[in-house]
Amino acid sequence: MIPLTAAVIGEENIIGQIGGEAEAKKHLADLGFVVGGTVTVISTIAGNLVVNAKGSRVGIGREMAQKIFIL
Amino acid sequence: MNLRIALAGNPNSGKTTLFNALTGSNQFVGNWPGVTVEKKEGRLRHHDGVTVVDLPGIYSLSPYTTEEVVARNFLVHERPDVILNIVDGSNLERNLYLSTQLTELGIPVVMAINMMDVVRKNGDRIDTAELARHFGCQVVTISALKGEGVLEAADAAIEAAQTAKPMPMHIFSGAVEHAIAHIEEAVLHDLPAEQQRWYAIKIFERDEKVKESLHIDEKLLAHMDTDIAAAEKELGDNAESIITGERYVYVAHVMKSCYKKQDRTKLSVSDKIDRVVMNRFAALPIFALVMFLVYYIAVSTVGTWVTDFTNDGLFGDGFHFLGIGRGKYEAAVTEYADETLFASETLRPTILRAVNAEVVGADEILAAIDDRDYFAFEETWGAYGPAVIEHLAHGSEATATLLTETFDAILAGAPAPDGYGAWVPGVGVLAERGLNKVGAAEWLTSLIVEGIIGGVGAVLGFVPQMLILFLMLAFLEACGYMARIAFVLDRFFRRFGLSGKSFIPMLVGIGCGVPGVMASRTIENERDRRMTVMTTTFMPCSAKLPIIALISTVLFGGAWWVAPSAYFLGIAAIAVSGIILKKTPMFAGEPAPFIMELPDYHMPSVGNLLRSTWERGWSFIKKAGTVILLATLVIWAGSKLGFTENGFGFSVDMEIADSILGRIGNAFKWVFAPLGFGSAEATVATFMGLLAKEEIVAVFGVLDFMGMTRLAGYSFLIFNLLCAPCFAAIGAIRSEMKSHKWFALAIAYQCIFAYVIAFIVYRIGALFTAPVTLLSTLGFALALLLLAGMIFLLLYPKKQTKRDK
Repeated sequence: MIPLTAAVIGEENIIGQIGGEAEAKKHLADLGFVVGGTVTVISTIAGNLVVNAKGSRVGIGREMAQKIFIL
Repeated sequence: MNLRIALAGNPNSGKTTLFNALTGSNQFVGNWPGVTVEKKEGRLRHHDGVTVVDLPGIYSLSPYTTEEVVARNFLVHERPDVILNIVDGSNLERNLYLSTQLTELGIPVVMAINMMDVVRKNGDRIDTAELARHFGCQVVTISALKGEGVLEAADAAIEAAQTAKPMPMHIFSGAVEHAIAHIEEAVLHDLPAEQQRWYAIKIFERDEKVKESLHIDEKLLAHMDTDIAAAEKELGDNAESIITGERYVYVAHVMKSCYKKQDRTKLSVSDKIDRVVMNRFAALPIFALVMFLVYYIAVSTVGTWVTDFTNDGLFGDGFHFLGIGRGKYEAAVTEYADETLFASETLRPTILRAVNAEVVGADEILAAIDDRDYFAFEETWGAYGPAVIEHLAHGSEATATLLTETFDAILAGAPAPDGYGAWVPGVGVLAERGLNKVGAAEWLTSLIVEGIIGGVGAVLGFVPQMLILFLMLAFLEACGYMARIAFVLDRFFRRFGLSGKSFIPMLVGIGCGVPGVMASRTIENERDRRMTVMTTTFMPCSAKLPIIALISTVLFGGAWWVAPSAYFLGIAAIAVSGIILKKTPMFAGEPAPFIMELPDYHMPSVGNLLRSTWERGWSFIKKAGTVILLATLVIWAGSKLGFTENGFGFSVDMEIADSILGRIGNAFKWVFAPLGFGSAEATVATFMGLLAKEEIVAVFGVLDFMGMTRLAGYSFLIFNLLCAPCFAAIGAIRSEMKSHKWFALAIAYQCIFAYVIAFIVYRIGALFTAPVTLLSTLGFALALLLLAGMIFLLLYPKKQTKRDK
């Protein structure tokens, strides 16, 4: 498993694991980031990521993205 | 009929647009009890006794963000008669995740699918009948922006409230349902049947807030925990994740049967815009351009025009209605000036002498004479005339009086504007005339005209400018760009312990600190929000511009760097404060990780923009208006009551030095002596700055500054830019902090910080520019010590706290 920050831009990936505090994890889940779900990195800017999850576009900080692992 | 409809849905799903369409202008905006999240209620159009409540936009009913807590507390404790669940059809999957939770509450739900036009345009299809069957509720389609199907959705909601028996349709896996059944039986059997399921699921998720609110017996809790643990073991995950995961699986299952997606590889419009706007090279230049435009329009050009109109026209002498008669008036004045003022052969040489003697502002007067511009002359003479006269008179009081009277007579003899066209006098002028007509006492006229109208006018003068700024911010927010700005700037702000969302308050703060502080509400994390509230007013607001302009002209000969240095000072103060405060235990810990939805770009409707502009503007007027009125009265009394030869009394022409205010200034001037401006006038000016920062210039004119060294003047500028803001902004800080302790801390921090910085700059500078004495050497040593202390705090590694690990 590799962190989301290392994903190829434009490729659809499946989330394998999400780490971090329970609170942040839950917030990610509410926004559509769940284990088994898909996530696509649309672009990176200054280390932060713009990703697509469950059809919506979400901006996510690098610290957060490093805790999302893709298969 | 007495019925309540709650509007619930994801952020950016068009909820506010729907709310506006449903209620028209019958809205009441307030705050939810105990928090600063906006609460909106309104009466449904064409229906009696139906209230619509606009809940904050949420993704889930979990207890982690303020919005979620507010929304779910309302739904669970107040139990509205029906929930109108607005769902963004173009983003169905994520939106339905919230719907699965809403339908568990035991409250009738009507689902309104918004943005159907976008769905159709994409060639996608949503089977609403199938969706209704899965969720066990009525499903309607609407276009909130165009107002289509909106009232029908409300009718459906009213009908559901009266007839529907809510019935949760979604069922979790066996192990979870088993545990939920146990929980319902063991602790929830006293609750009404339809409410049990939601509570049971929350207890299963180990939601601390729900557990606390139910006051469950410890033993029972422990007993239930074995059930939960059994389910966790069977499904190999923690309870909260199990529930979330199963909801998404269920939604995916529903999507399969009722959503047909057109296969397309084409990029959406938003993707195309983002390709440019969020491009890693272009993002910052584009952002800088947008900010420049906002600043240029709201502060420099249009903003200045409207501010000048309100200050000089509406609350000043008056104005020509629609400009009728202005041309004639200007022609008459020019003619008059050519015959009198500019006809004088001695005027130009006299002023030239003053210019050669480097009297401040004399060059500007000379330029006005050379341009034969009467209005420019009147303005520059008003500001710098006294200094020129002082120079010309060589200390002779008689000469000075004679010169003053001569110029005053010429200026007074100019044609008055009210003789031409449609002249509308200012509010103050009108009030004064009216009061004189009814024979009001002198003190009453002074109180009303100078105290109340003058003070409140000073605040209201900023309103048109604020409205322009708010309008542009509303547009940036509604079109979707604001979320991107916050995202792009997040990394930068993170270095100073702030988040990308802190940017918006600071941007607004350039216009005015009051709405700036209020804009901090969008920051969910409490620490980040407090930090932003504490530091936002370091940005020079538009009321501070006159001080900067005056000091730059009078002391630095209009040097180009003074104004930019003020902004730089503000930004540096924010950065330094962020880094230092973050190392104190109160603010310890990383800023909340950045996660934010970047909504699709869309063109907002004019009605919504105007409404949002007005709402912000009105709360600014209310806040600034009430605080300022009170403060104005106190300051007015302090400056008009005083000790003259005739003993203590009231006089409309009270000299500042004799007034109570002047006496207080005199008593406290020692406080500012170490900063280089320990005169009574400077002290009074600083106090008056608390009323409104531009008052500093009104009290502390050109002549007072001329007695100062450049260094002392700059130190005065530093202190007044950074110290506690005006009363209106202080009031805003108070209400946003929601705590006396935090409020006091914020104000104290700002004042001490301002004092320390001014002290360091003045004392270190003084060693090189003033004669060295024992006192100045001691001051220098102390300043070095403080500077070293600050650098230490900046570089000192942060202690690892538990949270960080």
